[in-house]
Amino acid sequence: MLKEKAKNIRKNILRIAHSSKGPHTGTALSCVDILSVLYFDTLNIASFDDENRDIFILSKGHGAMALYATLYEKEYLSKSDFFSYYQDSGSLPAHLDKETSEAIEISSGSLGHGLPQALGFAYSKKLKNLESKVYVLMGDGETQEGSIWEAAMLAPKMNLDNLVVFIDRNNLQGYGRPSELVSFEPIDEKFQSFNWDVYRVDGHDVDAIKKAIDSPSEKPKMIICDTIKGKGVSFMEDEMKWHYFIVTDEFLAEGLEELESRDEK
Amino acid sequence: MRNSAAKEIKAYCEEYSDGFLIAGDAGFGVWEDFQKELPSQYINPGINEQATIGLASGMALSGHKVFYYNIIPFVLMRCYEQVRVDVCYANLPIVLIGIGSGITYAPAGMTHYSVEDITLAKTMPNLNIISPSDPIQVKKALEYAIESQNPTYIRISRSGEPTLFEENIDITQPTYIKNGNSKVIVFHGSIVDEVIKASEELVDVALISFAIIAPLDEEQTKKILQEYATVYVVEEHFSEGGLGTILSDFAMLHSIDVKIEKIAIKNHYIHKIGSCNYLRKEFGIDASSIVKRVNNG
Repeated sequence: MLKEKAKNIRKNILRIAHSSKGPHTGTALSCVDILSVLYFDTLNIASFDDENRDIFILSKGHGAMALYATLYEKEYLSKSDFFSYYQDSGSLPAHLDKETSEAIEISSGSLGHGLPQALGFAYSKKLKNLESKVYVLMGDGETQEGSIWEAAMLAPKMNLDNLVVFIDRNNLQGYGRPSELVSFEPIDEKFQSFNWDVYRVDGHDVDAIKKAIDSPSEKPKMIICDTIKGKGVSFMEDEMKWHYFIVTDEFLAEGLEELESRDEK
Repeated sequence: MRNSAAKEIKAYCEEYSDGFLIAGDAGFGVWEDFQKELPSQYINPGINEQATIGLASGMALSGHKVFYYNIIPFVLMRCYEQVRVDVCYANLPIVLIGIGSGITYAPAGMTHYSVEDITLAKTMPNLNIISPSDPIQVKKALEYAIESQNPTYIRISRSGEPTLFEENIDITQPTYIKNGNSKVIVFHGSIVDEVIKASEELVDVALISFAIIAPLDEEQTKKILQEYATVYVVEEHFSEGGLGTILSDFAMLHSIDVKIEKIAIKNHYIHKIGSCNYLRKEFGIDASSIVKRVNNG
C-alpha cells in the first residue's frame, strides 16, 4: 500500500512540476518514501484542531511539491488547489506558506527554521502531558545552517523524546555535494555526540523507515535517510541539474511511463 | 522599566497558565522570583537566539502566550530572519521585549547599542512597535501586547526611569505632556529625561510622547502634523529610519505640509567611548542641544 501511495505521489509531483515549469523536482522525489510512511502509517491527525495531533514539519521547504502531493493523496488538499500550484492567483507557492492550508503547520523555505520550531511544539506537548509526537524532515544541505546545531544541542537538554527528525540525505544540494563542500560526514556520529538517538536507514525502504520510527527511544531521535535525489525517474536520479530543470512534455511522458513500469516489475 | 515589565509578565503568567517566559540568558536580578515561583512557565535555553525564536514560535503555535526577553541585538538583529519568518510571517502574538534601547548600555560599545532597531522592526508590517518612556508606559505596553492578535516588539531602556505618566493614560494615542502653540517636540523611549529637561527651558513648545510607533494612531498623528509648521522628533535612535522617518513618510502619504526636524543620532557606527550622558552630548541629543535646535529652528 505504501509503495502504491509513493508511486502516486511521485507521479503527481511530476504533473505539477510540469504544469508549473518550476524547479525542485529532484528534491521533491528524494523524500517521497519518508512522507508516505509518515502520512499513511505513522502520523495520528484526527483533526488539525486537536492539540494532541502529531505535528509534521517540512523544514526543507523547497521540497514543497512532495508535501503537496502527499497531502493531495491524503485528501487534505483539493484537486483544484493542488493543481493550482505555482500558477497565477493559485493556492500553493513554491515554498510553504502556512496560510495556504491547515495541514501545513509552519511556513518554510529559508532553511534551518523547522527544527527549532519543532522544539517549541515538542516542549509544549511535554508541558501539557500530551502523548503525540513531532516529526521534522530536513535536507542534508540544510544541516549547514547554524540554527540546526543550536537546536541539536538544545533538544536533548529539554528531554524531547517526543521529537523525531529525518535527514533526507541525498548528498546533493543547490550547487554541489554536501559531503564535498563541508565536513558533513560522519553526520550520524555528530548527532550521537550531541546525545541524540541516531538511526541510519535506506530512505527508500519503507519498512526500514518504519522500524526506525517505531524503535523505542528516550532521547530525541534522528533518522538519517540515505536517499537518491530524483528517485524513481532514472534520468533525474543523482543529477544536480534536476534541482533546477523544467519538466517538459517529453520528460513528463517519459517519467510517468517509467514510474508505471518500475511498479510492474 | 525592566522591573515594571517583569512585574506585568509575572502577573499574567500567575493568572493564565498559557503564559510562558523565555529569557535568552539574560535578566540577572530580574527573573529570580519568576523562576522560583513559576518554574514550569520559564526557560533559559542558552545563547542561541535563532533556535530560541523558533522555539518561541513553536510554543506560540501550540497555544502558549510567549514572552521573549533579551538585550535588543539578540531580540531583533541576530535572529532577524526568525522574527521575520517564524514570528511575523506566521502572525503569532509573541511579545518580544528588548532591553537597552538607544545607547543606554554605553559604554558597552556598538554591539550592544540599539540605534537601528526601529528601522528593522518597521520592515515587518504586522509587528507592533512600542518604545515606552516610563514604568507606566511599560505596563500599558504589555497590556496592549497581551491583548493584541499581532506580534509586538517592546524596546525598553537599561534600567530605572522615574514614573511620569498617570495610571489611566491611553497608550494607543500620542500623549501630551505639555501644551504649546508655536512648536512641538515629539519623542519616544529613553531620551525622555533629556526632552523633559529641555522643555523646561523652552517657551510655548508642546511636548508629546509617541510610545506606540506602529501602528500609529492615524487621526491623532494627522492632527499633530497639521497643527504645527515644524515638528521636532527627538529619539535615541539613528536619524534615518526612526520615528522621524516614519512621520516624514506619513506626512508625505497624507499630503501634509509640515517641516520635520530630526534630533537623533546621525547614522554611523559608534566608536566613541563614554557614558550614555556623555555620548548624548556628543551626538547632539542632550537637553541643551535640543534647546538650541528648537530655539534656532
